[in-house]
Amino acid sequence: MSSSVTAQTSHSREFRPLRLSGSQPFTQQDGVFIMIGERTNVAGSPKFARLVKEGKFEEAVSIAQQQVENGANILDICMDEGMIDGVAAMTRYLQLLASEPEVAKVPFMVDSSKWEVIEAGLKCLQGKGIVNSISLKEGEQRFLQRADSILKYGAAAVVMAFDEQGQAASYEEKIRICERAYRLLVEESGFAPEDVVFDPNILTVATGMEEHNNYAVDFLNATRWIKANLPHAKVSGGVSNISFSFRGNNKVREAMHSAFLYHAIQAGMDMGIVNAGMLEVYEEIEPGLKELVEDVLLNRRGDATERLVEYGETLKGAARIGSPEEKKTEQWRLGSVEERLSHALVKGIDSYIEEDTEEARVKLGRPLLVIEGPLMAGMGVVGDLFGAGKMFLPQVVKSARVMKKAVAYLTPYMEDEKRALEASGQVVKAQGKIVLATVKGDVHDIGKNIVGVVLACNNYEVIDLGVMVACEKILERAREVKADIIGLSGLITPSLDEMVHVAREMERLGFQTPLLIGGATTSKAHTAIKIAPHYSRPVVHVLDASRAVPVTTSLLSESSPEFIRQHQTEYEALRKRHAAPPQPVISIEAARERRTPIVWRAEDIPAPERLGVQVLKSFPLETLREYIDWTPFFHAWGLKGIYPRILEQGGKGEEDGQGAEARRIFADGNRLLDRIVGEKLLTANGVYGLFPAGAVGDDVEMYSDEQRRQVTERFYFLRQQANREGSEPCRCLADFIAPVPSGLGDHLGAFAVTSGIGLKELCDGFRADHDDYNAIMAEALADRLAEAFAECLHKRVREEWGYGRAEKLTPAELIHEGYRGIRPAPGYPACPDHTEKGTIWRLLDVEANTGMKITESFAMWPGSSVSGLYFAHPEARYFSLGKIGRDQVRDYAARKQCSVAEVERWLEPNLNYDRETGSGNGNP
Amino acid sequence: MARVYRHPLEVLLEDRIAILDGAMGTTIRTYGMQEADIRADRFQDASKDLLNNGDLFSLTQPKMIGDIHRRFLEAGADIIETNTFGATSIAQSEFFVEDPRERGGRKDPAFYQKIIEDASLQQLAWDINEASARQCREWADRIAEDTGRARYVAGSLGPLTVSLSNSPDADDPGFRVVTFDQVKTAYAQQVRALIAGGVDLLLVETIFDSLNAKAALVAIREVFDEQGLSAAGKQLPIMISAAVGRGGETLISAQTMEAFWNAVKHVKPLSVGLNCSLGPDLMHPFLSELAEKAEVAISCYPNAGLPNPLSPTGFDLGPEDMARSLRGFAGEGLINIAGGCCGNTPEHIAAIAKALEGVHPRELRERTQRKAAEREVSA
Repeated sequence: MSSSVTAQTSHSREFRPLRLSGSQPFTQQDGVFIMIGERTNVAGSPKFARLVKEGKFEEAVSIAQQQVENGANILDICMDEGMIDGVAAMTRYLQLLASEPEVAKVPFMVDSSKWEVIEAGLKCLQGKGIVNSISLKEGEQRFLQRADSILKYGAAAVVMAFDEQGQAASYEEKIRICERAYRLLVEESGFAPEDVVFDPNILTVATGMEEHNNYAVDFLNATRWIKANLPHAKVSGGVSNISFSFRGNNKVREAMHSAFLYHAIQAGMDMGIVNAGMLEVYEEIEPGLKELVEDVLLNRRGDATERLVEYGETLKGAARIGSPEEKKTEQWRLGSVEERLSHALVKGIDSYIEEDTEEARVKLGRPLLVIEGPLMAGMGVVGDLFGAGKMFLPQVVKSARVMKKAVAYLTPYMEDEKRALEASGQVVKAQGKIVLATVKGDVHDIGKNIVGVVLACNNYEVIDLGVMVACEKILERAREVKADIIGLSGLITPSLDEMVHVAREMERLGFQTPLLIGGATTSKAHTAIKIAPHYSRPVVHVLDASRAVPVTTSLLSESSPEFIRQHQTEYEALRKRHAAPPQPVISIEAARERRTPIVWRAEDIPAPERLGVQVLKSFPLETLREYIDWTPFFHAWGLKGIYPRILEQGGKGEEDGQGAEARRIFADGNRLLDRIVGEKLLTANGVYGLFPAGAVGDDVEMYSDEQRRQVTERFYFLRQQANREGSEPCRCLADFIAPVPSGLGDHLGAFAVTSGIGLKELCDGFRADHDDYNAIMAEALADRLAEAFAECLHKRVREEWGYGRAEKLTPAELIHEGYRGIRPAPGYPACPDHTEKGTIWRLLDVEANTGMKITESFAMWPGSSVSGLYFAHPEARYFSLGKIGRDQVRDYAARKQCSVAEVERWLEPNLNYDRETGSGNGNP
Repeated sequence: MARVYRHPLEVLLEDRIAILDGAMGTTIRTYGMQEADIRADRFQDASKDLLNNGDLFSLTQPKMIGDIHRRFLEAGADIIETNTFGATSIAQSEFFVEDPRERGGRKDPAFYQKIIEDASLQQLAWDINEASARQCREWADRIAEDTGRARYVAGSLGPLTVSLSNSPDADDPGFRVVTFDQVKTAYAQQVRALIAGGVDLLLVETIFDSLNAKAALVAIREVFDEQGLSAAGKQLPIMISAAVGRGGETLISAQTMEAFWNAVKHVKPLSVGLNCSLGPDLMHPFLSELAEKAEVAISCYPNAGLPNPLSPTGFDLGPEDMARSLRGFAGEGLINIAGGCCGNTPEHIAAIAKALEGVHPRELRERTQRKAAEREVSA
């Protein structure tokens, strides 16, 4: 069989990727070269070698970070240097890298010529790495032993083309040794063939020795042969070796590296040890240089070396010019100091933390304000991301360590401030002391240890009493050290009772210290219901390590009374909620079976006169005035009653009481309204539109035109799930739109109106005159006008839709909604998800058409705005969603393509389970 | 290299979903045992409370433990687990050795070196493992005989109370309280005793730190080697099961499922899967990921929902809820082995076994590949 035929068959053969892992998986892609970072190799980076020798391992971690940022897929880590204790250095460095989440993601290549160093490295890898390297240098038996050990730890292996006779230099030696090694590994050791990575020796060319001239060609040919004849085996190599004779001449070296790689990849080389940040692009090598370099590499002419050396001489001196800079993208440095601090905390970057902290200190004036302000805010983001499953423990710990650096930087300033305060006779609080313990009977404390680290990083003194700590010991120690806070941890359910016991004892012994509760089986509900009632001081549940700092800081800050009051209100509410049994829900499938029963008939589906977006600018306020529903106006002033009867209360003559009060504000309100209308103090803008639409399950699709082919937007609705008795359907707004399969071309309308433009100026004017009464009055009236606008517009829409023309209702009748069709608003009972407003905004281009905005929390700006949807079907009616189960939440999140945590956050009041503990009757 | 011998469990897994038992710890709690019961004579002088050191019950209340094994077997479990989740010198030291932190000291490799060399802790670990394995063996064999259906004993290796991936020192992220070799040594002691007691297979479970698990897998392999099992091709099958958080990573070392599978695949386990932590609902996406990536059998034995200290069992889900969830997973073709972790009583396991009766197991790719290979050879 000729070699070219073999090569073809091998090409059509199944590609079995090399699979590795750090904390993330790594899977080789067919045809994509794998970059192995070389800067964490003492031979590959003088800086790295220096840091390791000086014991500056933390600093050396940043070199690994840079390699990953620059695109290295794998890091080669090598400590082989006479002055370095390889086992200790390898262990220490890999353990530090394991705590560096961005680096720990990638697989590591443990590189050493000493087996004990390799083995020490393998003992630090949670993922699957690569051993670099083993060979037949010491014979078959030793080779198989090593292979067996590697299999035991679970790693791939680089095999050097080396045997008892020495290093393979020629093509024939290379392939002979590689084939022998392959058979041994695959057939005897049971190695997966894709885990065998050959390094057929990239040897230095252009040394002046004629026998070295063909080294590159031999490597390329050996690579081709391996790929053709040793199924699934990989090929790697240390690329910078090729150009050793041009040391000091980076331009030539880089050209040689990229030209060599270009040919080696063509030949089938899978990966190489390279400086990921310094690689010339092959296409961009200067053509003259490229030719000279390729003459050398491909051994194309006898004088190739001389010619390249000559060329190299002309470049010396200018050697560094034109070498590609190490790439770095630091867009985030452009943000505000608060944004930068937050970014640094979330990403765990400490490179700029001191200068940013200093900038914040200068900006805010006091060091403490930096901690309690931007730094705490940043840690809050970390906590939220962790809670949402978007950050993981090691990252949280990393963030805490960055926090520690910032706090350490601020500490001398805080001490200065403290001394100054003391000098002026003020009382200063010492650094907070926290006693932590896993309670008696429980031995689990990995989580508690992490809490300890995070707190210590935030400048608290942590006294950790360990595990299985008896109540007396905890309290005794807390007294002794004058602890500011006691934190209890436990993982197993019996620990919960022990925590109750500790709380009781603290009450009995007259403790004043706040008590924190944490651990896997603890919950906010349990803490509120079972523990807190036994102790009259704050008892706070801490969900996870990321929440420990905000809670502790709040408890010990100057504003702690406010925090404690809020906290107690919240726990009181929890106790009340749990006193009532959780409302059972039926499964979402069952609820869908019980959708609103509607018989779809063409005569119930009117066709609108016109489709698309209609804009109303400066709508006449005198028209809106007629549509005002006054009852809520009185509610806004705290008066209970129905307009107009409320004006009759207590008799016309009476000067006190609710009736008189109502008459007074009604008169004042109308006076101000006269001015607003007359002087056009407010502007009312609106936008609305009717669109072809069809229901698909619980969603409604919006189409660009009556062809109904292109879906422009999609509304997502929720269905009632609370166990509804008898024949009551489980309603969902989508029930009121004709389903797509019915073939009926239905429509859905949307609107957004405001009467709040100018309101802020008006109110500011009143307030400047200290006239709060009229400021509030103006707001109440603007709200009424906005609602009136919505009512008035709805009437117009019903007419344009055809079905409303015959209704002939007076404005008063309209207010009582005696008409067909509904206009539910996102954020209200029928569709409580505020985020659906975003869809209305896009659909109607609301901001451009009216000036109304939605904020991050999907509130409308200005106030006094209303938005919603129009449903026309005679059976359409308002309803309240009520409680929903976890099954619908998951389904809804999948439909909206967002996370469950996000949906839970927006719909918290509607969940029939506790989103933090998950307890409650989550699913049927 | 190629193992010709096939364990009967491997054969069983091709035909149906095997049932694993439920939780030991939370089931023990329903027996209302007191401190004096767990101490009996042997531990009457222990200075710390032992009630939550449930593994000791295998020594001091073998009747109760035997009763639990019996109930799980009668509920339909094909595989029962030994009561040895914390039966290593390292985990037991928490109950029997003073915590140096109480006096301002710290736990570090020097401390744990003493622990793994401590003769009384070694003996204790041996006794628990050997006794529990023997008790399981007896019950498994007895019920197998009564019902005519083979039953298997899995030696349980828990995650330990220490982490090889995490530093508890705020000033030094590179610090570790314990070394890989110490963890490996403790696991190896446990594995020897489990094998001596007669287990059929080994189960490395509730993995929250993949490096701890790798130390356990290396220990297992070394014990197999020293006992000549590897050479004879008679290694015990290994089951591997991780505990993940809401983002789908191992709880402490934060490794994603595919990365985890890549890291443990080399031991050619009988199965890989998920247990504990999240309960079935939240576990689903990560189980699917694992089922898609791994070629071996998939196991799943979740907690009975999330911990809920306000519910009488401590967990949310009842037997029917668990049965419905696992039936759903089976219907999607995700699982080959099903059972329950914390909060799952014999009633839960009975409901699960019933719901999975006659349901097709996940198709094993290895089998498909073997068949293809056989065809190739014959052609």
